[in-house]
Amino acid sequence: MSAVIAADGLGKRYRRKWALTDCTLSVPAGHVVGLVGPNGAGKTTLLSLATGLLAPDAGTIEVLGGRPAAGPAQLARVGFLAQDAPVYAGLSVADHLKLGARLNPGWDTGLARGRVDRLDLDPGQKAGTLSGGQRAQLALTLAVAKRPELLILDEPVASLDPLARREFLQDLMEAVAEQELSVVLSSHLVADLERVCDYLIVLVASRVRVAGPVDELLAVHHLLSGPRRDPATLPDGLEVISASHTDVQTTLLVRTSGPVLDPAWTVSEVALEDLVLAYMSQAAGRRRRDNRRHLEVQK
Amino acid sequence: MIWLTWRQFRVQALTAAAALAAFAILLAVTGPHLASRYAASAITGCHGFGCQSAAITFLSQLQATSPYAVVYLLGLALILVAPAIIGIFWGAPLIARELETRTFALAWNQSITRTRWLVVKLTLTGLAAMAVTEALSLMYVWWAHPIGKAIDLGGSTSLFSGGRFSSLVFATHGITPLGYAAFAFALGSAAGALIRRTVPAMAVTLAIFAAVQIAMPLGVRPHLIPPDHTVATIESAELDFGNLTATVVPGRPGAWILSSGAINHAGQTVTNLPVACQASVLGLKPSSPSQCMESHGFREAITYEPANRYWPLQWIETGIFLVLALALAGFCFWRLGRRRI
Repeated sequence: MSAVIAADGLGKRYRRKWALTDCTLSVPAGHVVGLVGPNGAGKTTLLSLATGLLAPDAGTIEVLGGRPAAGPAQLARVGFLAQDAPVYAGLSVADHLKLGARLNPGWDTGLARGRVDRLDLDPGQKAGTLSGGQRAQLALTLAVAKRPELLILDEPVASLDPLARREFLQDLMEAVAEQELSVVLSSHLVADLERVCDYLIVLVASRVRVAGPVDELLAVHHLLSGPRRDPATLPDGLEVISASHTDVQTTLLVRTSGPVLDPAWTVSEVALEDLVLAYMSQAAGRRRRDNRRHLEVQK
Repeated sequence: MIWLTWRQFRVQALTAAAALAAFAILLAVTGPHLASRYAASAITGCHGFGCQSAAITFLSQLQATSPYAVVYLLGLALILVAPAIIGIFWGAPLIARELETRTFALAWNQSITRTRWLVVKLTLTGLAAMAVTEALSLMYVWWAHPIGKAIDLGGSTSLFSGGRFSSLVFATHGITPLGYAAFAFALGSAAGALIRRTVPAMAVTLAIFAAVQIAMPLGVRPHLIPPDHTVATIESAELDFGNLTATVVPGRPGAWILSSGAINHAGQTVTNLPVACQASVLGLKPSSPSQCMESHGFREAITYEPANRYWPLQWIETGIFLVLALALAGFCFWRLGRRRI
């Protein structure tokens, strides 16, 4: 399985503040990859580095085996839909398609026109008067009609209402199925990703907390509940991701490759959203503890 | 990319074309009348001293006749202001608006590099800026030709007084409009790339360009070529006795006088009319003021650029602005580098 994005020790600094530090990750080809993480995890910075809009201040990043935005050929291989789907407000829908046709040697006129017809976009309408959902659809049309090998979408649905969100994702899935693209899309909402992604990367504070195919992740994570006990007494091979206790009961989210045999536990499946949140809060908790330790040392 | 540049620039280009056309019509309607007035004036076939008085008559009659005075001033103003307008409305938004509306993320993810994007945008729009300004200037030069000739003959009125070295005329004639247009456009683009917001970039462009436009004739142009110096007789320098400055450089017709002043026999500068000669100026003595001053040993020291330095000065000034424009364009490329977006 080759990597469409391979980052090694990647870092990006804005003035003196690091937006991304020491990020090492590998995004496999042939998947719809969800990149999820809290606000400020570095998702947008990472994707901007992958599209070559930014250059790294540390480490390296390779996209489809090449340096991002190194030349017209590399640019042609990657489609990008930026956050909030910027389009030229003064240009019409037809102008945008013409822009795509003029600036991309691999432009698929039939595909672009077909999408605009199907989405019911008026070619003469100025892009500035489109609804948020229509704007995102137009920007997606530009990104897919250049026939890229990799499509990168940065928070494509964050600003859309629930209906537009569903329509957009459905449309995206159809485009992906037709064109056999690799896709990376970022979001801080797991529910959106669950519907479309078959591979998940959880990024918290520049670090990959967990990555893998969605079905595999769901298969190895379990929710255990039973009488209250100390998680430290669990057998080897069980990794506790999160634990919560009431007076009498303990609920654990664990990762294990084998089955859970202890009859004291009630084993249930874990929802993707709970799994992601567990990894995020684990990271947050670790950070809090680190800070506290730091404060004590200072005292 | 050429198509996109044109598509985004279309409204500005058509506005400029309309302004250019309106100006051309105004000049075409009034120009032939101005030329025929000149042909019918006493300047045709004049000799010696008669030419100057004929030129003065021609110009003062012209100044009193509508619409020549208005068109004369309007044309000068338009050519001086055009580069500033271009810098503000073509230059400043060129990069700033893309950054402001984040459409750069769209533009720079098509299959062309951002360097090429910027090369095409700056080149095409920059050349259009230079072409429009120079076209305004050439049309105006054609129209104002009779006025310029009358001024060269020594004619002068309160309005029509600027020879070709005067601040306003020098910057609106010849090739300098090319330099000013290129500089203003590049300045606007660079300000937009630096400030990243359109309206503040416009304001900064206007402020800097206005300052440069004022500083150039006052502080820079006189030093572009080291001037010549001469000491002439009071008579031959045709002294203005109000402030003791020379109005001509003897033997150097059409020269640009940078500074002049009377000096006494010891070589010291005199700023006021000597007391001994005040009576002559008032006509109370038979000798003329010139004779009086010369008899007291006064001479006139003049610093000047001879007339044949007009084109070298035009080339140097235009060259300076073109080099500045290229430097500012280079700054745009550096600023849009991938570490600074």
